[in-house]
Parts: sequence; structure tokens; C-alpha cells
Amino acid sequence: MTPHPKAREGGRTCCLNCHWLVTLPRGGGGCRCDRCGGMVHQRIDGSVMLTWAMTITGALLLVPANILPIMTVIYLGSGEPSTIIGGVMQLYSVGLWGIALIVFIASIAVPVMKLVGLVLLLLQVQGRLPIEPSQSMKMYRIVAAIGRWSLLDLFMISILVALVDMGTIASVAAGPGSTAFASVVVITMVAVRCFDPRLIWDTYDEQRFERSEPTITEPLGKGANGDA
Amino acid sequence: MAASVERRWSRRQRACHECDLLLGDAVAPPGKKLECPRCDAVLHRNPRGSAAHTAALSLTGLLLFFPVLSLPLLSFSILAFGAENTLLNGVIALFGEGYIWMAGLVLFCSVIAPLGKFLLLGFISLGCHWRLLDRPVTWAVRWYEHLKEWGMLDVYMLGLLVALIKMSDLGKMEVEPGLYCFVAMMLVSNLTTLSYDQQAIWSRLEERRRRDAGGREPAARRGEPRP
Repeated sequence: MTPHPKAREGGRTCCLNCHWLVTLPRGGGGCRCDRCGGMVHQRIDGSVMLTWAMTITGALLLVPANILPIMTVIYLGSGEPSTIIGGVMQLYSVGLWGIALIVFIASIAVPVMKLVGLVLLLLQVQGRLPIEPSQSMKMYRIVAAIGRWSLLDLFMISILVALVDMGTIASVAAGPGSTAFASVVVITMVAVRCFDPRLIWDTYDEQRFERSEPTITEPLGKGANGDA
Repeated sequence: MAASVERRWSRRQRACHECDLLLGDAVAPPGKKLECPRCDAVLHRNPRGSAAHTAALSLTGLLLFFPVLSLPLLSFSILAFGAENTLLNGVIALFGEGYIWMAGLVLFCSVIAPLGKFLLLGFISLGCHWRLLDRPVTWAVRWYEHLKEWGMLDVYMLGLLVALIKMSDLGKMEVEPGLYCFVAMMLVSNLTTLSYDQQAIWSRLEERRRRDAGGREPAARRGEPRP
């Protein structure tokens, strides 16, 4: 017998909004949660495909986000557009390495880590990478938690654009890279929402209990149904 | 013995939302949290005095929105030229430059989503006392779950600090009274999020529904049809 009984084996699932145990209709498909009214599926519908699509889109958008300038600072009539990494280098060269580190982490390290983490999770779910599920869960939680902090750079730009607006003496303008960067952040945040961590455990259990599965499913399914 | 264990489990169950492990239903004691034994996901966190605290904090947050939106947060000046930054004029400036998507995103994450969170939480924590509002409260709980990660006041705060330090060598950067209100609002927002307990709202609604039904058939409230 599987040491860890799962809701799926009894045709039930957990509502992701309110964590209520919902009995799914026979014959598959989703239904509405009878407590909060949200749509419930056994696993998020098309989770792997959607997450792959978003991750790839995010990775592609990361290129223009880093190549195109995200903002232009004009001071006393001079100044050129700077990219994300240019902004970090400029902060570092002025000696503000603490701020440089924060901006580096928020706008370069976090998006890249998020994309790499998502790819690893997806490969694990598809059974191509043998990662311990506890490790994957840790990764999933980190990826989900850090995502929002990459908007730091965009907020900073929006503050500076309004604040430093004195014509030729000093002014800040946003650049086209910032649009791409905003899209990267939003798309990766949505990608994390699309990813269903329960798939990690499904894959893990499948691989571990592969051989004895046919003998297990039948009585267990009955038992789980019976005690509902 | 096995039968008794099974019966105890079958009273009401829950599944972990991150690993689908089937568990007996339990509620965390006040001030503690309940974790999934398999994947360590937080199943339930039980803050003390949830509904009342959430109501008070979200009303505070809503009141703080007025000074935050009307007062300047930072001001910057070189010689005689100066400009101020409020929560909204950064969005307006971006919009004016044609970055509509970015302006929309900043507006959504720094104004609309936090405002929506305060409104929804205030509505949920006050509205769950009235039978009449059961359905709208259910709806609000669901939308709060969708909205909650998009409120980014803390990230905006860090953005303000980075801007403050980054520009301080170009000219004179000053902190305006709006910033203090903003810090207060950010703290209140985080406290509101922490004090909100969805489970308490559900059990309140459920309790009332059971009382309305006269408490005659306890099995009826479970909403789990027997297969």
C-alpha cells in the first residue's frame, strides 16, 4: 500500500483557493468548489504546458530586457541610456555597492533564478531529472516568494521619472527595455501560479511505486471511496 | 482498531494543497501554525483575534490611503529647480511618455491591488457577521486569493529607498511627510495580511449555517456526498 494516501486516489482534490476537500465529478473534468465557488480541477488544467510556454516566453523576453536601455539619466545636458547591468555598474563605480547589490539581486539574479528554477521543476515533473521532492518543494517556494521583488527596478524608474524632471538640468526617462522587463516579471509570476506543485509528488510516487502500482490502485481506490 | 481510526479520519478530511496528501482535518491552536507532515506546506495559520484585528487594520489602511495619495513622498531639487513625487504622478509621467503597459502595471501593483486588498479584507472581516452577505463574502474571499500577491507596497518601499540613495549625489533629496504615511501603510498592509485567517471566516459561516439548520443533521453540513 502507498504509505501516503492521496486525495486523488479517492477522486477528490483540494480547492486551491480555500483548501476545501472537493469531490470531483465521475468521469473527469473540473467542477466548482462547493465552499468558495472557485473552479477546481484535480491538477491545474494544462499546468505543465502553460508553465513551459510562460517560461520560454519569459526567457526570450529577458534578452531585450537586458540589451535595450531601461532608462536614461540626463544630468547637465549630458547622459546616455543605460541598461540594467549598466545601472548596476554605475552604482557600483560610485561606491554604493550595497544598493548595487540590491538592484543586481532584484533585477538580474531573481529573474534568472526564477526561470532556471521553473525549468528544473518542469523537468522534474516530466520525469527527466531525479530531484528529491523536498528539494523541489523548497525550490518552488523560493521561486514563488522572490518573484515580486524584481519589480523593484520598475518602481524605481517610475519614481525617478516623476521626481527628476527639470529639462536639460536633470531628467530621467524610461527606455524600451523597461517594458520588456515588466513583461518578464509579470509572465514569470503568472508562470509560477500556473505550476502545480502536486505534480512533483505525483511524479515522485509514480517512479517509486511504479512496479507495484497495478495491484495497489484497485483496492485502495475502493477503500478511499468507501470512507468518504 | 483500524475501523475506529478510519471512522475518525472519515469525519472530515483535508488534502494538502501542495502535495495532495490526505489528512485528517485539524485547526491550528491560536498563534500557531499547522504544517503538512510530508511537504511542510503551511496548511493553516491561526493568528489571535483574527477577524476583529483584520477589520481594524484594514480600516486603518484605508484611512492611510488618503494622506499617501495626496501628500508627496519624496522631493528632489537642484539649485532652484525642484519636483515632488507622489504615488500617482510617477504613473502619470510614465503614461505621458507612452509607456502605457508599465504605467498600468505600476498603478496596479502600488495602488489598485493594495487598495483592493484593504477593501476586500475589510469587507470580509466585517461582512461575515451578517447572513445577508454570505454570498458576497464568499466571492470576496475568492478574489482576495487572486489579488493578494499583486499588492507590492513593500517592494515599492524598497524602490523609494533605492531612488533616494541613488539620486542623492545629483541634488538635494528630501523625505516628505507622505513617506512616513506610506511606511505606516506598508506595515499595516503586512499586518493585515498576517492577521487574516481564511479558515476562521469559513468556520464562522459554517457555524451560522448549522445554527440556521437547527443543528439536526450534522452530516448535512459537510457537503461531501457519500459515493
